Amino acid sequence: MIELTNVSKTYKNGVNALYNVNLTINQGEFVYIIGPTGSGKSTLIKLLDGEEIPSSGTVNVVGINVGKLRHSKVPLYRRNIGVVFQDYRLLPKKTVFENISYALEVINMRKDAIRHRVRRVMNLVSLDDKGNSFPSELSGGQQQRVAIARAIANRPKVLIADEPTGNLDPAKSDEIMALLEKINREEGTTILMVTHDLTLVNKHRKRTISLENGHIVADMEDGGYMQHAK
Amino acid sequence: MLSRLFRPIKEGFFGVGRHAAMSLSSASAVTITLFIIGVFLVFTANVQSFTVNIEQSMEISVLIDYDHEQQEQIDAIGLTISEMDGVKAVNFSDKDQEFQYYIDSFEDEAEQAIFEPFREDNPMHHAYYVEVNDGDDLETIANQISKIEGVYEVNYGGESSVTLVNVINSVRNGGAILAAALSLLAVFLIQNTIKVTILARADEIAIMRNVGARNGFIRSPFLVEGVIIGILGAIIPILCMVFGYIYLYDALGGIVISNMFTLIPPHPFVLYLALILLGVGSVVGLIGSLLSVNKYLRWKR
Ligand SMILES: Nc1ncnc2c1ncn2[C@@H]1O[C@H](COP(=O)(O)OP(=O)(O)OP(=O)(O)O)[C@@H](O)[C@H]1O
Ligand SMILES: [Mg+2]
Repeated sequence: MIELTNVSKTYKNGVNALYNVNLTINQGEFVYIIGPTGSGKSTLIKLLDGEEIPSSGTVNVVGINVGKLRHSKVPLYRRNIGVVFQDYRLLPKKTVFENISYALEVINMRKDAIRHRVRRVMNLVSLDDKGNSFPSELSGGQQQRVAIARAIANRPKVLIADEPTGNLDPAKSDEIMALLEKINREEGTTILMVTHDLTLVNKHRKRTISLENGHIVADMEDGGYMQHAK
Repeated sequence: MLSRLFRPIKEGFFGVGRHAAMSLSSASAVTITLFIIGVFLVFTANVQSFTVNIEQSMEISVLIDYDHEQQEQIDAIGLTISEMDGVKAVNFSDKDQEFQYYIDSFEDEAEQAIFEPFREDNPMHHAYYVEVNDGDDLETIANQISKIEGVYEVNYGGESSVTLVNVINSVRNGGAILAAALSLLAVFLIQNTIKVTILARADEIAIMRNVGARNGFIRSPFLVEGVIIGILGAIIPILCMVFGYIYLYDALGGIVISNMFTLIPPHPFVLYLALILLGVGSVVGLIGSLLSVNKYLRWKR
């Protein structure tokens, strides 16, 4: 489902964000990516999303060599995956409802099907009453949930979430975790979740990949809290 | 389905509205360009019909030497001329006809009588009248004919008609170059306007790509925006050229200076003129925004 082979990423300014990363994630897995700030977690996600191109190595997602995609084909590839960005990336001039429905409009879903599906995912993230609000009228946690709703709206095979609980209190974080687990279980969606929240990682144990300075330093099948030597 | 058609149009209009000042300044560049193109079109189209008239009056007269007046000699000269490149027709007129023309050119009968005695000992030459295909060739062909043996003298409509054709041609070429240059300028300005609208919406565009919007879906509103600017810029020149031409035609009674220069009747000429200006305006807008869109939509993958 997701396969990185010898992937390195050096940004134009010379920063080495990832070194020779090898990683395989199978269909239906739920995987955490943890690591200190600047360790390359978001870079990894941008490579999976096709936003960045690996400096060397190959990134393969749902059988597509993401780094080799032509510019015009990148959006088509993205219809296979849902991404929750660390900075939400909601359209500021569209309401919550429109933000979610937009992701379905661009793939030419029928109007009534769109309305139905948007209500469904808004209910999943408990934002039923926020349909007409604009992103600027929502709290960080609410915006984050809109971003999740949008990412799962077209039932992607892979859901990639960069800190989806970053702005939530523990109770809400647990709710989101329960939601992601449900999507993973019921829809068979492969989930890759970047997080800082070690309490969460310890509580909901899953395969955990630990990044440090662009290297994978641990890949624990059963998860668990890893104490970094400072 | 319909909404898929209307969305880019609606968003295109929003785009023009959001950057009203920029849009208007690019539209005014289109306006100036189309004015020049419009004047140029009116000029060229009319000159085209002028030159046809002028060229009809542009004959080369070829006088034959007294010592080449035998029928074979005359025929040989006529054949040589008619075989030259660019010669449309060759008409023979013998010296008796020539004499008659000459006499007829005097309106006063007394004056005509003065020449009557010369009819017996006709001083005129046999002559060929040569029509050419293209006024530009008049001079060259006349020179070639003058080199033929037995040709006494060659005359053509005179320097003035050649000069007129040359002037008309260079004005036409100059106008075409000016119009092309201004079109380029307008394309450049529209490209710049669309660039600003695109950059102002860069984040939005990145998000659209993030959720899977194809390039065409993102691009279409900007193309519509460019075309709208082009069409906005075309309105004033179209109105001015159409009503201006109708007014001019009526004021001049359809002719300039003499009957040789008749103007093209306004209907349906002004309709074509309006359509051409509208077409040029929208194409200029489309090209400007295409250049911009192809360049600036690629800022992020
Ligand atoms: N667009 C970019 N251009 C240049 N350098 C970048 C860019 N994005 C990230 N970096 C650098 O690459 C390294 C890894 O950054 P990245 O965003 O992947 O870290 P992260 O693990 O997501 O951190 P955080 O937990 O703070 O989000 C950092 O040193 C960062 O400064
Ligand atoms: Mg990050």
